[in-house]
Amino acid sequence: MTPNHAALELWPAAVSATASETDLLILAFTVLTLLLTVPVFVAITYFALRYREGSEADRQPSGIRSNLIEISWMLIPFLLTLIFFVWGARLYITSRNAPPDAMVIEAIGRQWMWKFQHPTGQAEINNLHLPIGQPIRLHIISQDVIHALYLPAVRLQIAALPDRYTDLWFKADKIGTYHLYCSEYCGTDHSVMGGEVTFMNPGDYQDWLTHAGAQQGKVAAGRSLYEAYGCAGCHDPGSAVKAPSLAGLYGSPVKLADGRTVTADETWLREKILNPNGDRLAEGTKQVMPSFAGRIPEDELGRLIDFLKSYTAPASGKAAQANP
Amino acid sequence: MSATGSVGGTARREPHAPEATLGRKADYLHADSTLRSWFLTTDHKRIAILYLTSITGFFVIGAFAAGVVRLALIVPNGAIMTNDTYNKAFTIHGVVMVWFFLIPSIPATFGNFLIPLMIGAKDLAFPKLNLTSWYVFMSGAFFTLVSLVLGGVDTGWTFYAPLSTAFSNTWVLPALIGVTVVGFSSILTGLNFVVTIHTMRAPGMTWFKLPIFVWTHYATSLIFLLATPVITTALILLIMERGFHIGVFDPAYGGDPVLFQHLFWFYSHPAVYIMVLPGMGVISEIVPAFAQKKLFGYRFVAYASIGLASVTFFVWGHHMFINGQSDLASLVFSALSFAVAVPSAVKVYNWTATIHKGSLRLDTPMLYAMGYIGLFVLGGLTGLYLATLAINQHIHATYFVVAHFHYIMVGGTVLAFLGGLHFWWPKFTGRMYSEPWGRVSAVLIFIGFNVTFFPQFILGYLGMPRRYATYPVEFQLLNVLSSAGATILAAGYIFPMLYLVYSLWFGRKAPANPWNAKGLEWETGSPPPKHNFLSPPAVPRIPYDYPIQAQESQDQHG
Amino acid sequence: MSEGLADGVGVARAGHFETVGQQRAAATLGIWAWLITELLLFSALFLVALITRILHPEATVAAAKHLKFWIGATNTVVLICSSLTMSMAIEFSRIGWQRAMVRAMLATAALGGLFLVLKGYEYYADWAEHMMPFLSSRPFALAETPPARLFVNLYYVATLLHAVHLFTGIALLLGMTWLAAKAGFLSRHQNWIEVYGLYWHFIDLVWILAFPILYVVNR
Repeated sequence: MTPNHAALELWPAAVSATASETDLLILAFTVLTLLLTVPVFVAITYFALRYREGSEADRQPSGIRSNLIEISWMLIPFLLTLIFFVWGARLYITSRNAPPDAMVIEAIGRQWMWKFQHPTGQAEINNLHLPIGQPIRLHIISQDVIHALYLPAVRLQIAALPDRYTDLWFKADKIGTYHLYCSEYCGTDHSVMGGEVTFMNPGDYQDWLTHAGAQQGKVAAGRSLYEAYGCAGCHDPGSAVKAPSLAGLYGSPVKLADGRTVTADETWLREKILNPNGDRLAEGTKQVMPSFAGRIPEDELGRLIDFLKSYTAPASGKAAQANP
Repeated sequence: MSATGSVGGTARREPHAPEATLGRKADYLHADSTLRSWFLTTDHKRIAILYLTSITGFFVIGAFAAGVVRLALIVPNGAIMTNDTYNKAFTIHGVVMVWFFLIPSIPATFGNFLIPLMIGAKDLAFPKLNLTSWYVFMSGAFFTLVSLVLGGVDTGWTFYAPLSTAFSNTWVLPALIGVTVVGFSSILTGLNFVVTIHTMRAPGMTWFKLPIFVWTHYATSLIFLLATPVITTALILLIMERGFHIGVFDPAYGGDPVLFQHLFWFYSHPAVYIMVLPGMGVISEIVPAFAQKKLFGYRFVAYASIGLASVTFFVWGHHMFINGQSDLASLVFSALSFAVAVPSAVKVYNWTATIHKGSLRLDTPMLYAMGYIGLFVLGGLTGLYLATLAINQHIHATYFVVAHFHYIMVGGTVLAFLGGLHFWWPKFTGRMYSEPWGRVSAVLIFIGFNVTFFPQFILGYLGMPRRYATYPVEFQLLNVLSSAGATILAAGYIFPMLYLVYSLWFGRKAPANPWNAKGLEWETGSPPPKHNFLSPPAVPRIPYDYPIQAQESQDQHG
Repeated sequence: MSEGLADGVGVARAGHFETVGQQRAAATLGIWAWLITELLLFSALFLVALITRILHPEATVAAAKHLKFWIGATNTVVLICSSLTMSMAIEFSRIGWQRAMVRAMLATAALGGLFLVLKGYEYYADWAEHMMPFLSSRPFALAETPPARLFVNLYYVATLLHAVHLFTGIALLLGMTWLAAKAGFLSRHQNWIEVYGLYWHFIDLVWILAFPILYVVNR
């Protein structure tokens, strides 16, 4: 599920009309920039050669009044750039006023993941599936620090603030999968806090909501939670902490220090996450896992356990994978 | 009395000694070599050298941090170091480079050394305060380095709340204290410059005979005085918030984290003009000297300096377009940001016009100045992209911004610093540096710089966010290219450190005016005597009284 | 410049200045420049306090009710009187009455000290009333109104910053008084009294801004 990107693309995909207009604005402004800079580069290079000390060039002053020159090169470039101020401002105002019939997606940012809630109840972690051809408004807030939600494909981003909602709206016209980023530095995993936005035909979007949205999204979400809460940091192979691997744990027998053997079912997994000091394992390695009681909301705990249920051990030597 | 026709071929370098030959021991550099005479000096020239050596040290620290950052970004998956290490590296790079290199670089070094000379005074108005400013500077650096040594800080140089106040587990407080303290050093320097320029000009040295270097430092000093206190308040509140949870930036108590951004950027936008204006002053001295021609449009350039220092206070919101501020605020800040580009453009065009029909020598200082003009105009215009609201929504917080400000800070300020260092090196040290090595280094730095930072414009509009320890694999090629450029740039920086130090012992002895430049600093020895002038200097009839005086400037007599 | 000064009163020229007039002008401009930076420092703080009031009017009023208005008002009078004695010191310095000048400076320092004592008592009373939200060990009296602590904490930051300036001012003043009592002081350093006087008036001015902004408008 990689986004559609060539190895070296020179222009990012634009999936909405406003994105395309933003591109036109950038290109047009680039033309003006070149008009204002290239003559300076050329002039300096040319003068450096032509008027080198010792050259026989004509150094007679030209007699043009310098005040006139000064005013011209102050006003003319300024007025030309103002064209872009106006164009940019108008496009900006459009992007700030969502139509009333926009479909609203709730977006919550927290260190270090995004949670998206569709109006029909489906939730996604870090990834977002959306239909094309209809205005979408993202209604955004943060649970901790200031984040920002950035979708380059629509050329828009906005901060996720901890004390109030912000909104971002767009209408995509092209299907495809594109990057979704956090663009306000928010700590350790700022660069990991993102995923993909997938634009789909309306019919496919409905299908996704009904079938995959519930299931597929759930386990992928669970995997993201497994990483976001730091489980991977200790339980994945190669960790310095050498916590027991969780691959294939669900449903297996577990030897406890007090001599009992229990089955790692949903309830047991849930209890261990909330209270790791209970039911200590028989192995004798030091118990250093912190408690997640009060730190993980119930619905996310449920998703995490769903993920663990599908997290199977590899046949031989390959990294463990979750069934999608 | 203006020169006519072609001058080429006759302007030889004639060292002229306006006063009796100085005994080696009588100049400021050699007169007394005890530690006490350096660390308790009140001579503005020695204080300038104290600043020069310390900011060079901080530049090396900041550059090393940049090296760590570019090293990490060779691979997209963060395999080389942990995310935390990366975050600390870019934070310390920003904090050290902004406050301990860029802001003091030209003012505290060249400004301190040259302003009294350029106006014909014996010292700055408050010599002891000047020395105090250096000790305050070093104290601020001490606290910041304490933070680094204890394990670093990872909030970014912008210290946004609530990340810096309630969520970061790193050594934020020492870093905040360090930056708060170093602000006072700026204020004291600015105060000294403003008072000196107002009250200590030599008889006959009117405002419109002052070199543009003095005008730009005056404008910079206004910003020092008016902007720095606001960041002091902002940082005090941040320290109180982190230490005592006073709540002013905490939404749980009705506080507003965006308020911190307003207070921060109210200072930090003018601060970038603190970093830019002095460099413009340096270029305004180098270009006429190496074109042997009067600066074109002197009054416009002088007024543009004050104009920049004024309008800069009204554009801070352009750092905050996407943080949820009102549309009206964004519109106003965007429009004013377009306006603030005008005075900068004026200067660029005036320098270019000065070169036109001059008699050019392409020595090292001039190579840096020409590089500056090109890179600064590109950097400045990319600022207008960012000021355009709809474009900003796409490239805010991406590598486009990183490229934009490095074009101005490195392509601009650092090049101006190096150009000035080579231009005034004979004056500061009494030695000539090796010109071939100077030119090679200037070209190497220009190339290395562009290879490092031009790809970042592309990365930015492709959508690569900044402050990213890991990134999508399709961005790797451009990142590797940028890191490769950084190694070329690093080599370019190392050469001057070597050949300039070498010249201190083995360089050719410099005459009073090796460049045939105009300005009172060239009317005294290289190095100058302790009290600057053995006899009161003769104030010029007009500023930039070079052999080539363009006729169009006759209606602009100083 | 020296026309307004009595005979024997003046300024000894420092080596880097060309004339005494230049030296005096530089000192005066210097202290004004410094005071402008200090004014901006406090103004930014007062601006944040005003923003807090605009965003949270009821919580701010509830918090301000706990301020000790009469101590603040008395302190305002105390500082204004100290500015009066400082002005007297400046005038005495100009006419060469050294002993009277020293007494006026001591009176100024004493009044400044009185301010700090009253302020200290006020802080004690705030502590007793559980009005120190930054002390996690002592429950805040207005904890049910979270925004109230914004105003209260800003009150502490502003008044503490002012108190630090006042304390520094008193220390400098005492040092200067000790020097100023010596023979020959007024013939060499008269303008120190004027320059310092500006600083003292500024400390008074900050309080004259702080008192209405913190104590008065929120009642």
